[in-house]
Amino acid sequence: MPIDYKNKRFLVVDDQPLARESLRAIAQTAGAFSVDFAPGYQDAIFKIRNNCPDVVLCDYILGEGRSGQQLLEELRRFNLLPDETIFMMVTGEQSYEQVVAAVELVPDDYIIKPFSPDKLMLRLEKVAAKKEFFAGFYREKRKQEYEKALAILAAKKETEAGRAYRFETLRQEAEVHLAAGNAEQAEAAYRGILEKYEFPWARAGVAKSLHHQNRLTEARAEIEKVVTSNTQYFDAADIKANICMAQGEHEEAQKTLDAVAKKTPRNYLRKRLLAEAAELNGDTETARAAMADVVANDTMPGAVSTEDQLTLARTHVGAGDLIAAEKVLVLMRESEVMNLELAQQASYSALLAVASPEKGRKKFAGLRPALIASPLSTVSRVDVLRAALAVDDRELADGQARELMSGEDAKKVFGSVRKLYALQGRENDFREIQRQVAMQRIHHEE
Amino acid sequence: MHRLLDVLASGVHDTKNQLFYAESQIAEAEAKHGLDLSEARYAIETAAVRLTRTLTAYHLLRNDATLAVVPVVVADLCDEVVLDQRRHLAHSGIELVHNCSVQDEWPLDRDLITDVLNNAVQNAGRHARSRVRLTAWNEGDGLHFRVEDDGPGYADPDGGRSTGLIVAERVASLHERQGRCGSMHLANGGEFGGAVFELRLP
Repeated sequence: MPIDYKNKRFLVVDDQPLARESLRAIAQTAGAFSVDFAPGYQDAIFKIRNNCPDVVLCDYILGEGRSGQQLLEELRRFNLLPDETIFMMVTGEQSYEQVVAAVELVPDDYIIKPFSPDKLMLRLEKVAAKKEFFAGFYREKRKQEYEKALAILAAKKETEAGRAYRFETLRQEAEVHLAAGNAEQAEAAYRGILEKYEFPWARAGVAKSLHHQNRLTEARAEIEKVVTSNTQYFDAADIKANICMAQGEHEEAQKTLDAVAKKTPRNYLRKRLLAEAAELNGDTETARAAMADVVANDTMPGAVSTEDQLTLARTHVGAGDLIAAEKVLVLMRESEVMNLELAQQASYSALLAVASPEKGRKKFAGLRPALIASPLSTVSRVDVLRAALAVDDRELADGQARELMSGEDAKKVFGSVRKLYALQGRENDFREIQRQVAMQRIHHEE
Repeated sequence: MHRLLDVLASGVHDTKNQLFYAESQIAEAEAKHGLDLSEARYAIETAAVRLTRTLTAYHLLRNDATLAVVPVVVADLCDEVVLDQRRHLAHSGIELVHNCSVQDEWPLDRDLITDVLNNAVQNAGRHARSRVRLTAWNEGDGLHFRVEDDGPGYADPDGGRSTGLIVAERVASLHERQGRCGSMHLANGGEFGGAVFELRLP
């Protein structure tokens, strides 16, 4: 299917002037209507956000510790790349193939320099044909209409044209199952792929699906296979760290993330994960430093969320730096705090009650009935528990501890909760809560 | 040792950027002045491929090469080899035909297999009288590629091998799937009566 390039707008992302000029000449000779440039990561995001091009030609190495792969991940994270836009990675060396072969999030295609205008056109046409094939599916997936999306895939899979996209169809099927919360079906779909070929991303998919089913030991065994044999596959380290945390193995989680975070210093999602692991591991300084880095340097508009501010305050509290914690909380805007969901309000008031009793305790006390009655996230429960212990509200504290110890994240937060009780000299009370929860569980299973 | 390799890889990388600049300027001049300088561009691309192949051969011979296997549409891969070689062969009066009956995606290292096939087609083109053919098909549960020509054939199909063929053999055998490995086969005869190069991937 020939593409009409007469009205196609290209964006060339490359930090090297000579390489930019080469890409411009090739794109224009291939017939591009217009070619715009972005010399770096930030410009690229700005241009794509404001006026999305039809084709992005992005060099893999962008300078300043950034890579084209990171740009792609960031664009997807903020939903800035419409399905119709073609994102083509350009690379001068073979090493990017290793990345593409391993990771989950891949560009539409990648092309190795040097290449002719004809080659570029051939590649773009193939990508356009593939996008056309999956167009209906992408639309439904984007709307989170997972049933409809899966139905489209099932129908397409059997067509003659579908044979060329067999693996991609299976992969999309697995991802949609995972997104829709059908972890067992996702696992089956990933295993179906592995029967055909041992792709690292499919093995990682199995691990993730098992994690969602809370089958942690199996999940861990699967992800270890991926991590040890694919050093370029950094996302696998994230998956492993999440599984380790769920298992309560926080030291291993932090170690795993420390190693990859050093190689990807500007991946702030990973920094957040590192902060979480370090905090659970009791390494409050690393947690603080990582969160401070996130809040200061994750420069995408809207990237630093209320949750991040609360996490930063939490790491300060964890490190015993109450003044810093108070500062973070007080600097959050009134309107921002007013509009928080209950779980975040709970965290906010609980953290403030610990950091600055005179400012926070009243609000915390005011929320008490809601905190007892409502379901909260794990992280908010730990915050409430900490504050309740600090104000010696035993009923509230013990209630949160019971919920935490009988919930899915029990292993993850066990160490933190025990430590909080120990700080108040109440280890025995915590042991008693554990015993009650265990009894209740046995009772349930009988 | 690895530092040395990094230095080499970085040098290759820079050189390829320079070559890309040269190719882009030529392509632009062609479009502007209605010229056909495809042979000059072919020479540039071949130089870049040789650099890459040298590094690949180095890794293969040291046994530290790893494949980057992705699902590849076999017909697209054949189209690309034809695009890379057809015009150049036509300049020497040789016709490149291709026939791909594989509609499925196949897990393979796209760049290495493309390079192996390009090299096989180049070799065939050097010895062919008038025709080279690239064929791809499924047989059993394997994927087969064949490059054949109407030249005099291999002097000794079982004899010593050039770097290109050594690379091809190693690349094939690195492709492994459910305990089966790929292989390379050389013969004389075939439908065109000349050299027959065959690659079988699991």
